[in-house]
Amino acid sequence: MQITFWGVRGSYPVPGAATVRYGGQTSCVEVRAASGECVIVDAGTGMRQLGNKLLRESGGQPGQYHVLLSHVHWDHIQGLPFFSPAYIPGTRISVYALLTAADELNQVIGGITRHEFFPMPLEAVPAQFDFHQVEPGVDFVVGSFHVTPIALNHPFGSVGYRIDADGSSVAYVADTAPFDKVLHKQHFLAGPEPLSSDDTVALGAMRAALLARLKGVDTVIYDTHFLPDEYARFPHYGHSTPDQALDICVEAGVRRLVLYHHAPGHTDEQMDQVAATYLAKGASVGIEVLTSFEGMSLPIGAE
Amino acid sequence: MKIRFWGVRGSFAMSGRDFLRYGGNTSSIELVSNSGQRLLVDLGTGATELAKHLMGAEFGKGQGKLPILLTHTHLDHIQGLPFFTPFFIKGNEIRIMGADPISGLSLEATLQNQLAPHYSPLNGLENLAAGVTISSFVPGGTLEVPGFVVQTAAVPHGSMWTTAFRISADGKTVTFLSDVEYPSVDEPLPQALALAQDADLLIHDAMHSDLDYEMRRGWGHSPARAGVVVAERARAKRLALFHHSPDATDDMIDEVVARTSSETSVPVFAAAEGAYLDV
Repeated sequence: MQITFWGVRGSYPVPGAATVRYGGQTSCVEVRAASGECVIVDAGTGMRQLGNKLLRESGGQPGQYHVLLSHVHWDHIQGLPFFSPAYIPGTRISVYALLTAADELNQVIGGITRHEFFPMPLEAVPAQFDFHQVEPGVDFVVGSFHVTPIALNHPFGSVGYRIDADGSSVAYVADTAPFDKVLHKQHFLAGPEPLSSDDTVALGAMRAALLARLKGVDTVIYDTHFLPDEYARFPHYGHSTPDQALDICVEAGVRRLVLYHHAPGHTDEQMDQVAATYLAKGASVGIEVLTSFEGMSLPIGAE
Repeated sequence: MKIRFWGVRGSFAMSGRDFLRYGGNTSSIELVSNSGQRLLVDLGTGATELAKHLMGAEFGKGQGKLPILLTHTHLDHIQGLPFFTPFFIKGNEIRIMGADPISGLSLEATLQNQLAPHYSPLNGLENLAAGVTISSFVPGGTLEVPGFVVQTAAVPHGSMWTTAFRISADGKTVTFLSDVEYPSVDEPLPQALALAQDADLLIHDAMHSDLDYEMRRGWGHSPARAGVVVAERARAKRLALFHHSPDATDDMIDEVVARTSSETSVPVFAAAEGAYLDV
């Protein structure tokens, strides 16, 4: 397998001189098997550039694309209307996502192309869309990929994916808060709320399930939006730090951790420091820690 | 009156080396009167940068008052809203004004949808700590905004309408005509000409190169030439090309400016993120 990062930023796209090297586009990762089949994880603004590349590769012919969504916050779906293969008649796009409310997935995804927000509603887009509801604990197969959804701790719910193919595995763990201070549910959080004993049990179970599914994974891509001092101020925002990600990876016996979903305010210079700091921290516990940047490609498994 | 472009890009925010001189952020413009009163047009991603600037002053202390005009609610004109930090400080008073979309939803319901729990952890406008009022107006009239006189008109944008603005203060006038496509490039609509009449600065949609425009007629955007025709007919003193295509690199925009300038006596420049400009 090979993974390529098309958007590594969290929250919103950040153009400008401060983000030239790590990139300013939001969450989107391409996972490609040796067979050439691919799945796209998250449809943030990075998906525009990926779409242009896929369209060039297909020579403008219709194709079948699979998109796994962690959740449907704007920064994870905003690229979908700008995915150029969607405008080729005959294209099929399968979208997999957690159903977090009574609305049907097609309405939630279609909602971003409502007349008020975008010139063309989803029904008018030439590609044919089909929607698949994902449930943590229920594995599924997409072509030659075996996909294991994993419940995460994020406002209104989020799901990570372990993806196995070609005898190796990669996991996408974003967006998520750690599993101690805050349990995210389906409501607005103005600040951290006291945990009930049920909440503590739920967090423990979520963490244990994540660890079980990450056991022995080759490469883990993890939401490390915050630096520790930022996390201390915003523990209720639903994101983690590199240290929290590293703890999880150590316990799960993971070989390699990729820092991902960088805060929009983090400049290239800050990211250089983060990369150096956590490369060293990772090395001290036997984990290769890489910091993702737009355009980064990594082979997964035996090289 | 001064103006600062915080976002000049159309449709999609573009990061990277090719977009550094003109800037990759989507639509957001700040106007400041000589007495220091402020007015914003649009809340594209450029508004997130402006927000940092505002938070250093009274908005960081919850003492800011800000009127915001929206041309329309396509995402590139509102995507900075959930990240516009003055909304998160109690005491700030922010008034968003715009036309109701023609879908039948109100402006307020549309912005509520943007912050619906699926899409945003803010989970609704009511969770913004600042005092936020959303008022709809019917384009064609005049809006009262402290320090400014704002005339409005509806102009066609593909299958919908956007609001164009003529904003006056301190004896100067800025006309904002973005996200507009006239039935014919050479025949701008009378309401556009009226808003731009004798303007000191006309900011006009220039999304398409001439070649792209041939392929994308009816999509709701203009080539640079449309702005030139409006500027010449309405005797605007300067023309700023705006809403640059996400595919237009800095070098490509340079070429458009050079070619457009050679075709008119009206001074032409491409709107760019950066410093305050005197109108």
